[in-house]
Amino acid sequence: MDLMLNQFLFLGAILFCIGVYGVLARRNAVMVLMSIELILNSVNINLVAFSTMWGVASGAVFALFVIAVAAAEVGVGLALVLMLYRNMRSIDVDRVDLMKG
Amino acid sequence: MDFTSGQFWTSPITYMVFVPVVGALVMLLVPKANETAHKVLALVTSLVTAAIGISILTAFNYDSAGELQGVVDTDWIPFINANWIVGVDGISLPMIALTLLIVPLCVVYSWDHIPSPGNAKAFLILILVLDTGMLGSFVAQDLILFFVFFEVVLLPMYFMIGVWGGENRQYASIKFFLYTLFGSALMIVAFISLYFLSGAETFSMIELPGLAQSITHGWQLVIFGGMLIGFGIKVPMFPVHTWLPDAHTQAPTVGSVILAAVLLKLGTYGFIRIAIPILPEAARSYQWLIGLLAVIGIIYGALCCLAQTDMKRLIAFSSVAHMGYVMLAIATLTTFGINAAIFGMVAHGLITGMLFFVAGSTKERYHTLEIKRLGGLLKQAPRMGWILGLATMASLGLPGLAGFWGEFPAILSAYDPTNADYSTGFFGVSNLVLFRVFMVVAAIGTVFAAGYLLFLFQRVAFGVPSEEFEHEPIPDVNRFEWIAWVPMLVLIVVLGVYPNLIFSVTDSTVAPMMQLAAGG
Amino acid sequence: MLLGFEAPSIDFHALAPEIVVTATLAVLILVDAFTPKQAKSAQSSIAGLGLLLALVPVVTLAVDGGTRVMFEGAFVVDTFSLVLTGLFLVSGYVVILLSQTYIAEGDYWEGEYYQLLLASILGMMVMASARDLITVFIALELLSIPAYMLAAWRKRDLRSDEAGIKYYLMGVFASAVLLYGMSLLYGLTGTTMLSEIATKLAGEDVPSAAVLAIVFIVVGFGFKVSAVPFHTWAPDTYEGAPTPVTAFLAVASKAAGFVALMIVVFGAFPFRVDIVEPLFWALAVATMFVGNLIALRQTNVVRMLAYSGIAQAGYMLAPLAVAGTVGDAAVQSILIYLMIYATMNLGAFAVVIAASRKTRSGELTSFAGLVRYAPGLAVAMAMFLFSLAGIPPLGGWFAKFGIFKTLVEADSAAGYSLAIIVGVNSVIALFYYARVAKTMIMDDVPDGDLSPVQVPVSLRAAISITLVLTVVFGILPQLVAGLTDNATLLSAVAVP
Repeated sequence: MDLMLNQFLFLGAILFCIGVYGVLARRNAVMVLMSIELILNSVNINLVAFSTMWGVASGAVFALFVIAVAAAEVGVGLALVLMLYRNMRSIDVDRVDLMKG
Repeated sequence: MDFTSGQFWTSPITYMVFVPVVGALVMLLVPKANETAHKVLALVTSLVTAAIGISILTAFNYDSAGELQGVVDTDWIPFINANWIVGVDGISLPMIALTLLIVPLCVVYSWDHIPSPGNAKAFLILILVLDTGMLGSFVAQDLILFFVFFEVVLLPMYFMIGVWGGENRQYASIKFFLYTLFGSALMIVAFISLYFLSGAETFSMIELPGLAQSITHGWQLVIFGGMLIGFGIKVPMFPVHTWLPDAHTQAPTVGSVILAAVLLKLGTYGFIRIAIPILPEAARSYQWLIGLLAVIGIIYGALCCLAQTDMKRLIAFSSVAHMGYVMLAIATLTTFGINAAIFGMVAHGLITGMLFFVAGSTKERYHTLEIKRLGGLLKQAPRMGWILGLATMASLGLPGLAGFWGEFPAILSAYDPTNADYSTGFFGVSNLVLFRVFMVVAAIGTVFAAGYLLFLFQRVAFGVPSEEFEHEPIPDVNRFEWIAWVPMLVLIVVLGVYPNLIFSVTDSTVAPMMQLAAGG
Repeated sequence: MLLGFEAPSIDFHALAPEIVVTATLAVLILVDAFTPKQAKSAQSSIAGLGLLLALVPVVTLAVDGGTRVMFEGAFVVDTFSLVLTGLFLVSGYVVILLSQTYIAEGDYWEGEYYQLLLASILGMMVMASARDLITVFIALELLSIPAYMLAAWRKRDLRSDEAGIKYYLMGVFASAVLLYGMSLLYGLTGTTMLSEIATKLAGEDVPSAAVLAIVFIVVGFGFKVSAVPFHTWAPDTYEGAPTPVTAFLAVASKAAGFVALMIVVFGAFPFRVDIVEPLFWALAVATMFVGNLIALRQTNVVRMLAYSGIAQAGYMLAPLAVAGTVGDAAVQSILIYLMIYATMNLGAFAVVIAASRKTRSGELTSFAGLVRYAPGLAVAMAMFLFSLAGIPPLGGWFAKFGIFKTLVEADSAAGYSLAIIVGVNSVIALFYYARVAKTMIMDDVPDGDLSPVQVPVSLRAAISITLVLTVVFGILPQLVAGLTDNATLLSAVAVP
């Protein structure tokens, strides 16, 4: 059982790292959104694994909430990206840099 | 404030402090264009304030001037145990009287001297707010209350200098503001440290002197150090004085007068009222340093005066020197010294205030204060010339005028400081020797003072008018100037002839206070 | 399984403020659906009324006193949450006053604006009562997601798009990191209840995963309160977003972030101050200095207010660095700061909105000589700015005083050093606050145009309310301080 848990946590950690790397390194707004999804899913894996380990449901419930909220977040995010594309004809987040100082 | 407290509402001190603000609020409602209404309102407000103040001064029991009288103690901010504690005793009384006198005179002077760019409404409102701040500081007996009133004067003075000042006003105003704010940040940390370290969790200035003894000596030194810088900036003491010449030079006349006459006194008042009674041990440890900085201020101020070409700037530096005498007297930590210091504060307030008035009127007539361009004031405006003469004579300490009693006892007090055998951090020299050296240096300072003040008077008043002003009509002292100046001139003479007027009031408060401090 | 379900008992009185706001939200959506596009002006009035109405149960609950606990401790109504709920409702109302003409006159979607605003406020109110990781998370998202959209409300303006995108990406990333920290915390303790987490983390030896979890959570909320080095979104978002939204973000949203920080720090880590305190010490110092120093060279007033807001967040973080020794005193000083900060900052934004109606710009130079044609606005702005700088007798002094007091009370090297640093920073900050006041009052009008500014009634009301409160709070600070007298987060935590 312990071995199993570790595997899940390891997977979660890897996904988290990939996600963080993606957010920091990717320039395409949609790719950044997907990287954030990776982090959220690593969280879900963690939560469900821990929930099983402790034998309580709260972790799994938490994961359900995260899934629902993530959907809302992405909905808003894609709308913003679409709006950006309409105004700028690009979704490169590095080019979104009008204001400085 | 606890509004249900009858004590608060029946005390005349409450009204004295808040009437100016109420007057200012009324003025806010009057349209800007109606300047006469504003002048009348401001004058009435300041006179009502003065009347309430005089009623407090007459009700004051002079036989027991040592006690705090008219005390009101009610809740203000229970959350931090800061209370509305006010009261009047022999130390605050002369300061209150000085404020009550100066403010109406400033309003009268402003009658036909609203400096450019005009706007009597705003200008007079600021004067009234200053009035509340100054009076509040002098009656406050709670550290936080004192702090708030102490700071209330900041904003009006900042705007007064910044809006109605001379050419370099913006630089001068922000410099004044930043210096003072820096000092008050240190001050407030010092106050809060007192609150917690004394173990009493109180800000009451009445209770703290007995309670702060439990603080370790090291912490006492740190706290006193914070206050030393905070109050020292306001005085201003030698290394932190640099804001003063700029502020004074750039401020409008009335601003300079209030600054010199009352605001600077808040610093020295803070030493006498707060720092020394609460932390006497630390005061003794810092004694040599305060004394040293004071005499450096005296000599430095005097030397700077000799180098000035601008009349107002010269008077400003003479302020540094004069406040040096006050600080030297305070540094002796003797009853005699503190008495001398309080007298010095009042005398300096009247005399330097007067000098700034004359400088302002001179500037108005000649449009310059360059000493080398002026001359022959006695020919063109003889009355004003003689008033300048009287003020300079008083300032250099001529016996028979108030300045003498501000300077001479201060020097004398250094002959016999407290703790004479105590050898302080200053190269192990005993206090006695150290302060006698200070005394000699301070005495030399008076010679310089005579030098630069006579130079000023001679260049401005004697001789013939310079060519550029030869044919200019220079009006003599006008009605409003007379009204504003006569009370001050009379007081300068009266206090010079009969100094006991102040000494008798202050001594009965100072003596027990210093005894307590010495015994602690 | 279904038979074993027991409906939780619900205290409707305790939930009333949230219910009222939710109902108002529903009414707004309905009204919006059945009114033509040109007649949306009722929206702002309904939204404002709803917020004021929600204040009624807040007051009755406060009068009632006591602590109401629901959902096995996940939702708590006590002094702490009531004070904050009140703060969110009132600042929300002021933001509506600020928005009214701005949104109506611009080419914006009016109905949805107020619906999103209310949703965000609802999230903040829930946050104030949340005492459970899931509830905290839901509240955080409920307050954040509408705010992302509001920031991008001027959708044809690229700057507003930029504001929205930056805010969104940073915010979502932060909440993802935060969630990861929460999942670790859950794994270590097996519960989502903060108080239980606190007890389980109390032991002598702390697993290294707990350190990681705490750091992740603090970082996550650090974004929300724009603590340095997680502040980079704030200036751009503030400058690009519609100014009323900026006011909302700078005041309410930031306050909500602090609420979350306090809830988590005091609820879950009260026995782990050894990890939390140094973290906050560093964050506070960096936030104060960076915010103030960058604010010094700003030429745009809104952007300057953004950086000043960052610096103010630094002051508010400072008490958390001594949370272990002073306990609830830190909570109270932050609450006081939040209330006073909200008052004066909203006021400053209100003046900027009013003055930009004429100047059409947020650049400092465009406000030069404001006092000549709008003396009221200029004087009000000066009051707000000097209040932000902490000059008595304006409200800000007491906020700063509370911070100083808490820091000195700790009687530790960390406390004294922070007190000195706060002092130094106050002096730096005065410089740029005074510069704005100076430009408005002492400089000349750039184009010599002295025509007066038309200030609509709603803006007038907003400025008057905030101005009066700023002055009154400064003279009678007990009005604010007294509210927080019983505000505690620690009493709920059982000492192991």
